[in-house]
Amino acid sequence: MSGIDRKEFERVAEQGLRPANGVAVQVQGAERRFGERTVLSTLNLDIRPGEFVAIVGKSGCGKSTLLRLLAGLDEADGGALSINGKPVRGLDDDTRIMFQDARLLPWKKVVENVALGLPGKKWAVWEAARKALAQVGLADRAGEWPTRLSGGQRQRVALARALVHRPRLLLLDEPLGALDALTRIEMQRLIEQLWREHGFTAVLVTHDVGEAVALADRIVLIEDGRIALDQRVELPRPRSRGDAAYAALEGRVLDRLLTVQALNARNQVRGKVVAIRSDEVLSEVEIEVVSADGRRDSVISTLTTRNLREHPLEVGAEVVAVFKSNEVALALPR
Amino acid sequence: MSKPKSPARQRWRGLLPWLVPVLIVALWQLAAQVGWLSTRILPAPWAVLRAGYELALSGELFTHLGASFARAATGFAIGGGIGFFFGLINGGYRLAEHLFDTTLQMVRNVPHLALIPLVILWFGIGEEGKLFLVALGVFFPIYLNTFHGIRAVDPALVEMGRSYGLNGWALFRQVILPGALPNILVGVRYALGFMWLTLIVAETISATSGIGYMAMNAREFLQTDIVVLAILLYAVLGKLADVAARLLERTWLRWNSAYQPA
Repeated sequence: MSGIDRKEFERVAEQGLRPANGVAVQVQGAERRFGERTVLSTLNLDIRPGEFVAIVGKSGCGKSTLLRLLAGLDEADGGALSINGKPVRGLDDDTRIMFQDARLLPWKKVVENVALGLPGKKWAVWEAARKALAQVGLADRAGEWPTRLSGGQRQRVALARALVHRPRLLLLDEPLGALDALTRIEMQRLIEQLWREHGFTAVLVTHDVGEAVALADRIVLIEDGRIALDQRVELPRPRSRGDAAYAALEGRVLDRLLTVQALNARNQVRGKVVAIRSDEVLSEVEIEVVSADGRRDSVISTLTTRNLREHPLEVGAEVVAVFKSNEVALALPR
Repeated sequence: MSKPKSPARQRWRGLLPWLVPVLIVALWQLAAQVGWLSTRILPAPWAVLRAGYELALSGELFTHLGASFARAATGFAIGGGIGFFFGLINGGYRLAEHLFDTTLQMVRNVPHLALIPLVILWFGIGEEGKLFLVALGVFFPIYLNTFHGIRAVDPALVEMGRSYGLNGWALFRQVILPGALPNILVGVRYALGFMWLTLIVAETISATSGIGYMAMNAREFLQTDIVVLAILLYAVLGKLADVAARLLERTWLRWNSAYQPA
């Protein structure tokens, strides 16, 4: 038995412990255009039943578009998408989607929101909704208006609303993007735990590589509407963020992602490393940049020393400083 | 939140809005009694109250009140119902909007009270004419606000509803209608204002009962106290209608903190 085969065997064995509930997803040559702009071009992706796949990529790369195609909310302009061999045509009862914002109906109590669209007698539906709320730890908030909940609690209600339908494919469209770091980690644990319990196939779109590494069996990087990287995550669960292998993998995917972003003219400055100051935990890299009008200025980047050791930099190296547009802080000079 | 207010201070705050009206009435009574104000121009408040009491005793007051109220309610139900219907279909279907909206907007720009001569020709001075005018008056505020309410429903919520298995009637009742309700109720409040305005005009022109008729009749006999009473009655009825609309907002929009008492 070769190494890969054994791993495959172990994975199948591990999955055997989980309910076989998930569906297989197949995307063949999917295309999606908005007017002149091609968002997805001949994209191929195979997802096994019960697999947890994370899709990462810079904003506008088409990752959310792919998810909407899978959800049946949009139609592909070309290619074929199928779930368990059946072509995707419109909305499917076995597929549920969680959006970036919770999208709770403000005029319905929490429990009514969870029960939304469930067929059956009212008491049975509410009973099911209450159980789902208990699973996400919000049983005591059933009778409240959604506006009374925090952002994290709203997303938990949205998760309960998705799970109560017993989906076989759960699509997650950056559902944790707007949450603070602690709440996000809590939610990730909850999603992982419920995924293991219910055994659905999960597709998570995220811009947070750490989140992808924490949750996914596989990380797929989309770039210009195509798959640029398809990375298995072989780390045992539950995964701990402090783990060296975890950090290495996160760094690798992030690197790949940043190379992609470096080709993009937005949110970046080119410059030369002029100084590196290393501490035990954190390091500072000072980069000299020359602006268009010839003025010299410097940008100081703080990163973990461990990260710096993995990607050695020398004084004098030409680099591109890239930053997230939503994480820029502006301050007045002293 | 500022520091907690003492109950006595809160009671004062509750009374404060009434200070100016009470002062005005007191001044008015004084002016009439001293003789600065001729009763031909404005009777004393006390005289108005007495006129109201006498008319209530004879039962005449309630006949007129009932007649006006019935007209208002019927006209509102007819005009509001039609306005709501067109608001729904034009807000919900582009085709209906294309078909009807231009026509309705043209009609809207005609002041409905300008139609009075025509309405008298069509319906004579019977009930139908008055109902027609009231219905026309309330139609537009309800139509416009229902239309905009439907259009303003968050498309993200509609998409969510669809993807969670709602469609047709269920989607309308659980997502679209509640989402449009705040706007629709704004329309209802405007419509109530138009309702009384139209009714006053319609009743003063041609009627054999109603508060407007009572006022016009009193004018013929120079009974200024009854004329003023009629005006005050309209004010009270208008206020009651507004309170009713607020009550609807508080019960139907319980979920929306903007509509809850502070």
